[in-house]
Amino acid sequence: MADSGNMNASAGAADGAANWTPVPLLEEIKEHGRVWEDLANQYGVTNPDPPWKTSLDGICEALAAGSCSSVAAAEKRWLDGKVDRASLDSPLPLLERRWEEDELSETLYQDVPFPERQLLCLAHSLIKRGLVNPDELAARMKAVHERLTAT
Amino acid sequence: MVEEVSDFEALEIAVRELAIEKGLFTAEDHRRFTEFAEHIGPTPAARMVAKAWLDPEYKKQCLTDAIKASLAVGVDWLNPTGFGTPSDYTDLRVLEDTPTLHHVVVCTLCSCYPRPILGFQPEWYRTPNYRRRLVRWPRPVLAEFGLQLPPEVEIRVEDSNQKCRFIVMPVRPAGTEGWTEDQLTEIVTRDCLIGVALPKPGMTTNIPLPVHKPAKPGHH
Repeated sequence: MADSGNMNASAGAADGAANWTPVPLLEEIKEHGRVWEDLANQYGVTNPDPPWKTSLDGICEALAAGSCSSVAAAEKRWLDGKVDRASLDSPLPLLERRWEEDELSETLYQDVPFPERQLLCLAHSLIKRGLVNPDELAARMKAVHERLTAT
Repeated sequence: MVEEVSDFEALEIAVRELAIEKGLFTAEDHRRFTEFAEHIGPTPAARMVAKAWLDPEYKKQCLTDAIKASLAVGVDWLNPTGFGTPSDYTDLRVLEDTPTLHHVVVCTLCSCYPRPILGFQPEWYRTPNYRRRLVRWPRPVLAEFGLQLPPEVEIRVEDSNQKCRFIVMPVRPAGTEGWTEDQLTEIVTRDCLIGVALPKPGMTTNIPLPVHKPAKPGHH
């Protein structure tokens, strides 16, 4: 597996969950967040997926596009001397994200249903790479919640 | 209508906003990809199979040039989003079943899937459990989906990858003589197109499948 920063994910399967350090914010959401199945049952909604599912798909597609579709254009900019070689590296390569999702789905988030699990895995990968800070994520979640519930 | 904002909903929005602010992708890219995600589904692939069942010439095209054949069902495979070509959508092949050969599709590496023509993967397709086990024990895994194939039917597992995606063209089932393309399209479910089910008159939905957790989490 490709290098995945401080997650030590290159260790063997036997080490399992021990290699994945829980993120307190995500643990809190895992423990207390209400999953779509519960909400749909309570409110009598029949949609199989939460309304944010396609937006999550959009995030994953956009991240994948950053690591795949724009490579040729980015390489041309590099060859033209317009950008550094380092700028071509995706901050979260598609395969690393998927492999981390596989491992986290079988360890830290194994009891969380899909697609909530996929969302937690994505947040975990972003946090562990330092691409998103857990404190700013918590603050933004609070702001989002206030915004959506403002009267 | 759900009248509360869950932590998961807030998390998705917060992650998205921060990712945009940090330049991981643009708001415009996200909007376009989300719209793409909202409109794709299995219907074009189902219609492709139904058309092929009715039209031998079209069937020949499906088997020899699936990318061109996909245009007839409204999918521009080489430019599926309409605003750029994700590099993983490179080739599309249709795998023809016969009475003695059955195909089933997997992606052992991650979860490659012919999204422009089949929509997003079901949860089970993404799981390491399906991916690891199907290639080793295809017959028992298909049986878990309720698909019991007789021993004389050969099973061929096709592994998707970044260069090529697959859909299965099942054998047209008995009892569909005289059916229209629309009628046939209805019975070609997503699961039939992956190869974990066979089309049947009267069966128009996928069977919910419990996702099995691995006894020993593995590593890639």
